Amino acid sequence: MKQLRNNLRRVGVFLCIMLAVLAAYGAYSVIVNGNRWFSSASNTFMSRKKKEVIPGQILDRNGMVLAFNDASRPDQDGMPKRVYHPNPAVRMAMVHAVGDDKNRVDKGVESFMTASLYGFDMSMAERLSCFMQGKKRVGDDVHLTLDAALSAYATSLFPADKKGALVVMNYKTGEVLTEISLPQFDPEGFASETAAQNRAVRVMYAPGSTFKIITTASALENDEGVAERAYQCTGVLQVGDGTRNVTDAGNAVHGQLTLQRAFQVSCNNTFARVALNLGDEKLKKTAERFGFNDNFLFRTLVVENSSYPSENRTETEIAWTGVGQSELLVTPMHMCLVASAVANEGVMMEPYAVARTVAHNGDTRSVTQPRVYRRAMETDTAARLKEYMRLVVTGGTGTAANIPGVRVCGKTGSAQLDTQENTNAWFVGFMDDPAHPYAIAIVVEDAGGGGSVAAPIARQVFEWMLQNGY
Amino acid sequence: MSKKKKRHLSPGRALVGTVMLFYFLAFMLLGLQKMEWQCFVLAAVVPVLILFGSVGITKLYPADTLLLSLVNFLCALGVLVLYRLKPEYGMSQAVNYGVGVAAMIGCTLLIRYMPHFRLLNMPMMLAGLALLAAPLVMGVEKNDARSWIAIGGFSFQPSEVVKVLMLICLSTLLARRKVIPAMGFAAVCVLILAVQNDFGTALVYFGTAMVLGYAATGSLLLVGAGVGGAAAAVLAGSLIMPERFSRAMSRVDAWLDPWADPQGKGYQLIQGLVAMVNGGPFGVGLGVGNGTVIPQHQNDSIFMVIVNEFGMIFGLMILAVYVLIILRGMMIARNSRTRFHALLASGCAAMLAVQTFVIIGGNIKLIPMTGLPLPFISLGGTAMVSCMCIIGIMQGVSARNAADLREDRELALQGGDGL
Repeated sequence: MKQLRNNLRRVGVFLCIMLAVLAAYGAYSVIVNGNRWFSSASNTFMSRKKKEVIPGQILDRNGMVLAFNDASRPDQDGMPKRVYHPNPAVRMAMVHAVGDDKNRVDKGVESFMTASLYGFDMSMAERLSCFMQGKKRVGDDVHLTLDAALSAYATSLFPADKKGALVVMNYKTGEVLTEISLPQFDPEGFASETAAQNRAVRVMYAPGSTFKIITTASALENDEGVAERAYQCTGVLQVGDGTRNVTDAGNAVHGQLTLQRAFQVSCNNTFARVALNLGDEKLKKTAERFGFNDNFLFRTLVVENSSYPSENRTETEIAWTGVGQSELLVTPMHMCLVASAVANEGVMMEPYAVARTVAHNGDTRSVTQPRVYRRAMETDTAARLKEYMRLVVTGGTGTAANIPGVRVCGKTGSAQLDTQENTNAWFVGFMDDPAHPYAIAIVVEDAGGGGSVAAPIARQVFEWMLQNGY
Repeated sequence: MSKKKKRHLSPGRALVGTVMLFYFLAFMLLGLQKMEWQCFVLAAVVPVLILFGSVGITKLYPADTLLLSLVNFLCALGVLVLYRLKPEYGMSQAVNYGVGVAAMIGCTLLIRYMPHFRLLNMPMMLAGLALLAAPLVMGVEKNDARSWIAIGGFSFQPSEVVKVLMLICLSTLLARRKVIPAMGFAAVCVLILAVQNDFGTALVYFGTAMVLGYAATGSLLLVGAGVGGAAAAVLAGSLIMPERFSRAMSRVDAWLDPWADPQGKGYQLIQGLVAMVNGGPFGVGLGVGNGTVIPQHQNDSIFMVIVNEFGMIFGLMILAVYVLIILRGMMIARNSRTRFHALLASGCAAMLAVQTFVIIGGNIKLIPMTGLPLPFISLGGTAMVSCMCIIGIMQGVSARNAADLREDRELALQGGDGL
């Protein structure tokens, strides 16, 4: 009996722990995912609730009002109509980040920040006082970190009729300054399905040669002496069964070169060999340190998860992964984070688009504090990579991004797709200057080489920013 | 000891009073919202049922007021929330509640005055298996699981009835250290349930059997063997019935990534989660929530309806109530004099714990969703009766313990007098 009682005590403790796990897991997942569930399109409860509250305004970082309710234009229910910035160029440039009242853009600020905009963060006292005064509640204003003027300017730099995306962020803090996606649409007009997609954070691309940043980081950290080794580029590298040998753009032959030079001229041959030398496991580990295969749960930004494929990896696929082609998938936002990590001594800051929320009476409700997302690489690896990326701009594939007197660093990419004629043009980079800590990622679909199409856009954006006090 | 009857407010009675007041107000609120006379009837009937269920019963036999008031709180909560979802649900659950209280009293008396079930054990086991297997022959399919039988327009779930039988049979066998037959019997039960696609109930049976096996033997090896056996059975099932297995796996997919199909497979889970966060810490308020959009809101997902309207803090309190009931059960088990009664009471506690874990865990996406009723709260006559029987068993063991103590005291007193 005594033994039985002891067993029973253990059983009792076990059963209680079991139920405690329920409570702990429930609390944890609500804290982590709560706002994602709340703001999802599946939340039908909101449509009813929204009729009772006038939503707050959305403002850019300079206080420009991007979305507000115009009392002079009531809709059929007598509610003021939601309107966007009067300048069509501005409201179209911001439409993907801000979202729209018809919810055509998934997870824009309009839907993701529903809780703030519709006053769900209000205290009991505030609700009660509105109720007593018989006034309709007004939700909180959302102040973004985004710059509408910069977004509109960046949009104008894209070649006509090309799809693509551009992201600019502060790599010291993680503030996102611009997040544009093309094609755009007018939030007060019609939107095609293609235009409604937010290519900056929700559409997956092959990173192409911009992934060589990660291959290089992995090599520098796992393969001692890789920087001093001499590689021989003969144009074609036989891999696996020979059906998909690694070649270079324009079938270039680079001859003998070091890792640094290979990075500068973006030699596929060398990086395929670096990747094969590292092996899938190490390369994957580095990629995961950079955030691949992670579930991005950023506080004020929904970013699609990037994937580093994990199953049935052949030699051919590993070689192509080294040059960013295989089945790797990233968003421009994530590639901007990768560049940020290099610029910020290996530390990746969590990107955020909402600076603060402000109650209707002017009191600040919440302020987003910068937060480290993860350490992507060691400090000296980042310093080395920064030099490599600098050389790309001074004398490699990315010279079109160079600005005299500014240390612009970057990496180009030209990702091939079977479905389209031209390559996707990529450029990721940053200004290596503590006074101007900005990183950029650009992708222009079906447009050609990263060095010739994307790099000039980066230069123009950085020049505009320097002129406008950033 | 002559004393003037002084109104003494014991914690148990204070609790009952609070619970009664809570439901009186809640039903009045609902009634004013909906302007339905049934609501006002329930506002009177439910508190009276609670009073009878927790205090009135103590006049029949010495009962555990704390345990009773907690259980009554949960049952009445079920009636309230179900009425709010659909008045017919609430009315029929109120009847279930009344029948449940009667069943509880019956079970208490049975356990209190029946010293053991050794002779009845074999017939009970056979009857249990026959009942469990019956839906395979004459069953009707509900929600993808073939675990119901219908007799003359009245349908019920045999697995709920057999739950109680299994507790008694397992305790009888394990009390006499017949581990192999006990585990064999449990395994057959679990297997039959799995074949009927009723994985939630199978999991409850399995968990309870494991806990009882461990309590009786103290051997983790046995638990390991049980888990290993279950894994082997799943593997075998995937080979023998690949089609049915893939159907079960699609539920696992819906659990891992419900957002892949938010309007289809992931719908129930997502709507539950969304309802939970809509509720926030304090809930949206009784009667104004959106619980009805969740599929199975009266059954598997009722916890999410409650959290939606009463808030997450209230949800945690509900969990705490379950924990208290379970702890009370384990306490009763530890105080009992015979192996049989100790195992029986702990089995009851374990069964409630496992069932609560499986159903709420499924709701909050901790484990895959399985169709199970939340004890005492979900709509369902058989489920309510079986849960109340389980509480009745706990009460019966508790009453035996009290009687044993009294006897001891009397013997001790006699011993003193005899000197």
